[in-house]
Amino acid sequence: MSKRGEKTVSMKDRFLVRLLGNERWQAITIPVFAILLSLIAAAIVILLVGKNPLTAFQSLMQGSGLWPKASYAAKKSMLTDFMSFLDLMTPMLFAALAVAVAFKAGLFNIGVSGQMLCAGFAATAAVGYLEIPGVVAKPLVVLIGIVVGALVGGLIGFLKYRFNINEVVSSIMLNYIAQYVISFLIYTNYVDPVSRQSRYVLASARLTLADTEIGGLKMNIPLGFILALIAVAAVKFLMDKTRLGYELKTVGANSKAARYAGINVKKSIVASMMISGCLAGLAGVTYYLGYYASIGPRTLASTGFDAIAVSLLGNSNPVGILFSSFLITAITKGSTYMSSTVGVPQEIASVVTGLILLFSACGAYIQYMVKRSKDRMTEAQAEQHNGKEVDG
Amino acid sequence: MGEYIVEMRHITKRFPGIVANDDVTIQVKKGEIFALLGENGAGKSTLMSMLFGMYEPDEGEIWIRGKQERISSPSQATKLNIGMVHQHFKLVQNYTIGENIVLGIEPQKKALGLFPYVDMKSANERIRQLSQQYGLEVDPLKKIEDVNVSIQQRVEILKMLYREAEILIFDEPTAVLTPQEIEFLLEIIRGLRDGGKTIILITHKLEEIKQVADRCAILCQGKLVDVLDVASTSTKKMANLMVGREVSFQLEKSPAQYRQEVLRVEHLSVKNQDGFEVVKDVSFSIRGGEIFAIAGVSGNGQVELADAIAGLMKASGGTITLAGKDITNAEIRERTLDGISYIPEDRQSYGLVLDFTLAENLALKNYFQPPFCQKGILHKEEFDRYGEKLIGEYDIRSGQGIRTQVRSMSGGNQQKAIIAREIELGSPLMIFVQPTRGLDIGAIENIHKQILGERDQGKAILLISLELDEIMNLADTIGVIYNGQLLKIADASTLTSRQVGEFMMGVKA
Repeated sequence: MSKRGEKTVSMKDRFLVRLLGNERWQAITIPVFAILLSLIAAAIVILLVGKNPLTAFQSLMQGSGLWPKASYAAKKSMLTDFMSFLDLMTPMLFAALAVAVAFKAGLFNIGVSGQMLCAGFAATAAVGYLEIPGVVAKPLVVLIGIVVGALVGGLIGFLKYRFNINEVVSSIMLNYIAQYVISFLIYTNYVDPVSRQSRYVLASARLTLADTEIGGLKMNIPLGFILALIAVAAVKFLMDKTRLGYELKTVGANSKAARYAGINVKKSIVASMMISGCLAGLAGVTYYLGYYASIGPRTLASTGFDAIAVSLLGNSNPVGILFSSFLITAITKGSTYMSSTVGVPQEIASVVTGLILLFSACGAYIQYMVKRSKDRMTEAQAEQHNGKEVDG
Repeated sequence: MGEYIVEMRHITKRFPGIVANDDVTIQVKKGEIFALLGENGAGKSTLMSMLFGMYEPDEGEIWIRGKQERISSPSQATKLNIGMVHQHFKLVQNYTIGENIVLGIEPQKKALGLFPYVDMKSANERIRQLSQQYGLEVDPLKKIEDVNVSIQQRVEILKMLYREAEILIFDEPTAVLTPQEIEFLLEIIRGLRDGGKTIILITHKLEEIKQVADRCAILCQGKLVDVLDVASTSTKKMANLMVGREVSFQLEKSPAQYRQEVLRVEHLSVKNQDGFEVVKDVSFSIRGGEIFAIAGVSGNGQVELADAIAGLMKASGGTITLAGKDITNAEIRERTLDGISYIPEDRQSYGLVLDFTLAENLALKNYFQPPFCQKGILHKEEFDRYGEKLIGEYDIRSGQGIRTQVRSMSGGNQQKAIIAREIELGSPLMIFVQPTRGLDIGAIENIHKQILGERDQGKAILLISLELDEIMNLADTIGVIYNGQLLKIADASTLTSRQVGEFMMGVKA
């Protein structure tokens, strides 16, 4: 007889297919599965350092205002923490959208952090210390963020358009240039002698309303978050409903066919990098003039790099990104609290974040495993069927 | 039992929305040439892919030399002495012929008894020996990128022989060859059979089957129609069985009604990326209602000529005039709007965006115009409506209609989609490059009728083909290209295919 033994279907196959086999829902089920896996891995790591993973996860959520803490200081509540959480999520959302727009056009914008820094610094230097009313200063900050981000992103696109320089190389190099030139300018012009960071921007220019009292509670209200939600809708509209979005997607899916169809491929590349830069610029101003109010020299915000994983986890889909940036921010934000209350070292908290990002990037692999298991099962069924026929 | 070397019993293979093979049983005798004949999407390639381990059947059994086997990968097929030459060669361009042949089973030696290295010397010796034995002359030290298609095919055959394959599968081996090269290949195949090998030949060319095959299985829409003894069956009968209806070999071609001149090309030169002049001082013109066909061996500049007219390559000299307007330096989009439809040679990398839906692909050339797009906003319902209309009018078949991802469609239906899109543009000039490559008789007949229909509508048609028969059947005027130059332009009725073949080889310059 045949080597029927080889075709045995393992428990794992049945499990994977039953759980994730439905292709229509895979866009949702697979990321959720990846997240679960990463939480299990994180739990093991936390167990290894001798802490209770459940308390650790609970404190993680408490830190982000998603779970009530045992006690709060005066004028603080869960809502305070949650607002602060949204404040940090805003730049992440913008940054991940920036990555997604470039990605749809077949480009890899690894320079989001540099574009954020340029936009944040330009807005800080131009508006941050001006004594003008907030209604003028805040829109100005946003505008500068958009323009500077678009210019830097556009430059990367232009370098590819004109000289065929790979966008990954040019954006990494621009990251360095931005980082050190801006450090130099901060040290020479804007430094705070005590903190060694740039001086705090004035409240009028800040996109977060810090320590605002509402209903007896003091909280930071992130104005940029509303903008970020609008950006989610705008990017979705751009990609699904506009001529420009269709052209960008065509270039990303098959640049040869795009050219054949009469699309100006090079202009599309510049356009997508400008839009991506715009969004990165918005991430920059909501980060440096929102959540923080100053710029730490000689570092790049990790947001711009985490955004790549967030965008992947969200399947480069604006709505998906809304959820994935929520998750990743919850972990990064909550990890500080977790380390202080549960006693999980900060380093381990970073390991947990890293694990989640790592697993989130494995979506394609999980999809492949499910498909293989499914193939094995259909095969086995076919064989059983055949066997019956032979027996009968 | 021992009579058959390969038996595929009751094979069924399903893909989403389609049954590629439905309870197919074939039995191949040792030492025969067994042909598989069928329309595009009839399931010939799928069936053979299962024998070669690229897919596994959903149902059915495969028996090799009287033993049931499960072939789960090509390497397993190789272990069972099964080899396959694919339609698209699988060679590493910048490796030598020898390196390509041994790839995966490199003979190793150890320098100083310690450091392993690939022993190319003895490998090349073995390759020379094999190529002499079977009359497949190659120089194992030459790189693949430096040799022509017919040599590359020999390399693929040698690859199988080097692996001691006994059962050789050829997937449409003559699709890329000139008439002379086809003769040579068929001779080789006969020689292999006489040397004791078993050959399975996938083809849609009836003359070839008639020439070399002993028996022939006919597939139609995934089902086995019949297995015939070739010597006692007429080509006409085979064709009818394959298509499932009466086929007319002779196209009904009405006399040409020439109208005004549409395209004029004067002293056109084109340089490729390396700055090498691939089209040299070419001049011709096409009138409305005329099929101007360019014959030539592959790689003589015909594709670059078409690309230059459509705007995908720049002209380095000369002028292109479309309906009185100089378009030599116009953008691609402008040329499309001025009236050029282009069916490119490479439908998968140029003609279609494989990951897009059928509806999106059908609107690829006019998505930016009303009603599809107004003020930068797309109207997806118009895409859908247009897609439905074209699918109906041009009989484009797919698993999920307008929502089908084009990647999952068969080659014939992909080509139908491109032709539908380009005809619907209503351009006065239509450029067809190899419009029937890799397609079967039924699809070819259909496309030929469409080309003639467009001509009768008064379109100017530039047809570039490597198939001499296609050119002789369709052309009103023939131009023969050799080494980038148009050697001859003449009314089709004044040339025989033998003469055209000679010009194609550069004779009678």
